[in-house]
Amino acid sequence: MLAEESLTSAFDAIKANLLRSILTALAIIIGTAAVIALVSIGGSAQKAIENSISDMGSQVLSVVPGQKEKNGVKSAFIPLKLGDVRALENEKNISWKIAPEMRGNKQVKYISENANLPIVGTTSDYFSIYGIEVNQGNVFTENDLINGKKVAIIGSDVAKELGTNKKDLLFKNIVIGDSSYRVIGIAEPKGSGGWDNPDERIFVPVITASERIFGRIWINMIVVKSAGEFSLPQVMIAIERILRRTHDISPGEDNDFRVYDWSEVKQLQKETTNILTTMIAGIASISLLVGGIGVMNIMLVSVTERTREIGLRKALGATQQDILIQFIVEAILLCIIGGLIGVVLGSAIYFSIASYQEWPIVMPLSAIIGSVTFSALVGLFFGIWPARRAAKLDPAVALLYE
Amino acid sequence: MNVIEVKELEKTYYVGDIEVKALRGVTFDIQKSQFSAIMGPSGSGKSTLMHIIGCLDTPSKGEYNLNGENVAKMSDDQLAKIRNKEIGFVFQKFHLLPRNTALENVMLPLKYANIGRLERSEKAKEALAQVGLSDRIDHKPSELSGGQQQRVAIARALVNSPAILFADEPTGNLDSKTGEEVMTLLHKLNNNGQTIVLITHEKDIAVQTQRTIFIRDGKIESDTIN
Repeated sequence: MLAEESLTSAFDAIKANLLRSILTALAIIIGTAAVIALVSIGGSAQKAIENSISDMGSQVLSVVPGQKEKNGVKSAFIPLKLGDVRALENEKNISWKIAPEMRGNKQVKYISENANLPIVGTTSDYFSIYGIEVNQGNVFTENDLINGKKVAIIGSDVAKELGTNKKDLLFKNIVIGDSSYRVIGIAEPKGSGGWDNPDERIFVPVITASERIFGRIWINMIVVKSAGEFSLPQVMIAIERILRRTHDISPGEDNDFRVYDWSEVKQLQKETTNILTTMIAGIASISLLVGGIGVMNIMLVSVTERTREIGLRKALGATQQDILIQFIVEAILLCIIGGLIGVVLGSAIYFSIASYQEWPIVMPLSAIIGSVTFSALVGLFFGIWPARRAAKLDPAVALLYE
Repeated sequence: MNVIEVKELEKTYYVGDIEVKALRGVTFDIQKSQFSAIMGPSGSGKSTLMHIIGCLDTPSKGEYNLNGENVAKMSDDQLAKIRNKEIGFVFQKFHLLPRNTALENVMLPLKYANIGRLERSEKAKEALAQVGLSDRIDHKPSELSGGQQQRVAIARALVNSPAILFADEPTGNLDSKTGEEVMTLLHKLNNNGQTIVLITHEKDIAVQTQRTIFIRDGKIESDTIN
């Protein structure tokens, strides 16, 4: 029989029992929608994290405070200090860029507007390490850094937070805490990556941050980027060697600081997301299997209901194969329609969540193709048995069926 | 020339452990262009006989040549092909597909014969014209009277130009007037050379044909020219 006849008769049969067909396909619809929505959401989350990690720049190492462990007991966090930065800077055998990051939120005022913004105390190397372009004004001078001048470089969104234009703020004074700072530069936009918006940050010389704004000497992080031919592991070893000496750690003792390679974190993150996505897809495929059993059930009912039609088709010359194909096509079509509705529903759920959460949109085509194909396979698998029953019907008996 | 040659046809069923001999050695021939009736009370074996000579079933024993071909030992697929090409069925309950139009119903056997769309629709329209329903081709069965539905079924049976047309109680579900119309149509087709076998339990209907084969208890009781 022509494929066209199988398709039209399958459409007819599905249309004839529309409500029943939709209810049958419901589990398939829900399963596919779940796969599409969850896999996309997973993709978005991964993308958001990847963005924020690539904001930090690859090839960048972060040194953060750690804990000492003695006889299985962990001490408090040992802070990193400006002295640690200086010790690293004094190393002349390795060419690298080093910048401290002393970070905290402060109330910032400009005329009558004010906002609570992150303040980062650092040096000029910070901008080159992270590839932040200061395209208006200048970066910090030696004098600013050494003497802890009251100057600030602002992210591109700071002006907006303070209710004004970027141009207006350049070389004007803003108030951080209770004293005023001169804006000497404005950074170009980096774009939001996820957790925080780097464009809302205000950068000040680290001495200024330490002495005037936060009143502390410990810093949150030291960022290091290899400037020469040194590989990340070599740089890592050098950092450990220098900081262990500075922190007076005897051989055999553990580090009281940690060195992060963000590209590793990125990889780990990717693996975690993949595992989660696989798990979600696995759970959703159970729904598709349950849907398949529903389809089989309804197809068996349909075969019984249409016994006379099957008898007639056979009397008119349909072979067993013709009938088999007709019913398998019907089961597959039912599942594919369910799958497509599921894709639309799942995408709608995903888009509404993603736009509400302002996530980057990631629509994995593989998930769409995969789940519709899987639906079709479910139809094939669960359609075979009812279709075989139909094909095997004795035409003489089937014609007399009431 | 004989369209049907049946020799010592036997059919035995098993209902559980019980052996039912539906046919106990039936022999007859049907010539081309003959209009014959197979008659018998219910349980006589006439339905079984019709199923076998209609290639819906195979005999337990005996020979059956249809249009010169031995069909008694054919496989399911071969029988399907024979039913499609050589046999046209008309049923008591019409057996039309309710959601399809008259034209689509008549085209159905041509689809199983893998005939292209254009030729299909052309042949089906021709067949519908033969039964006088050219103006009803887009009607669904529910929009047609009983007599019209049976005429659509006859058009469907004719559309593959079968060697033989089986009509199983074709007037059984119709009032006597439309029944007569259907019989007139069958006579007209027979006059044009169509071989027809009518299965009925009504003597009034059987006598309108050229020959009556009377079955009782799985055997031919009488075979008379009307």
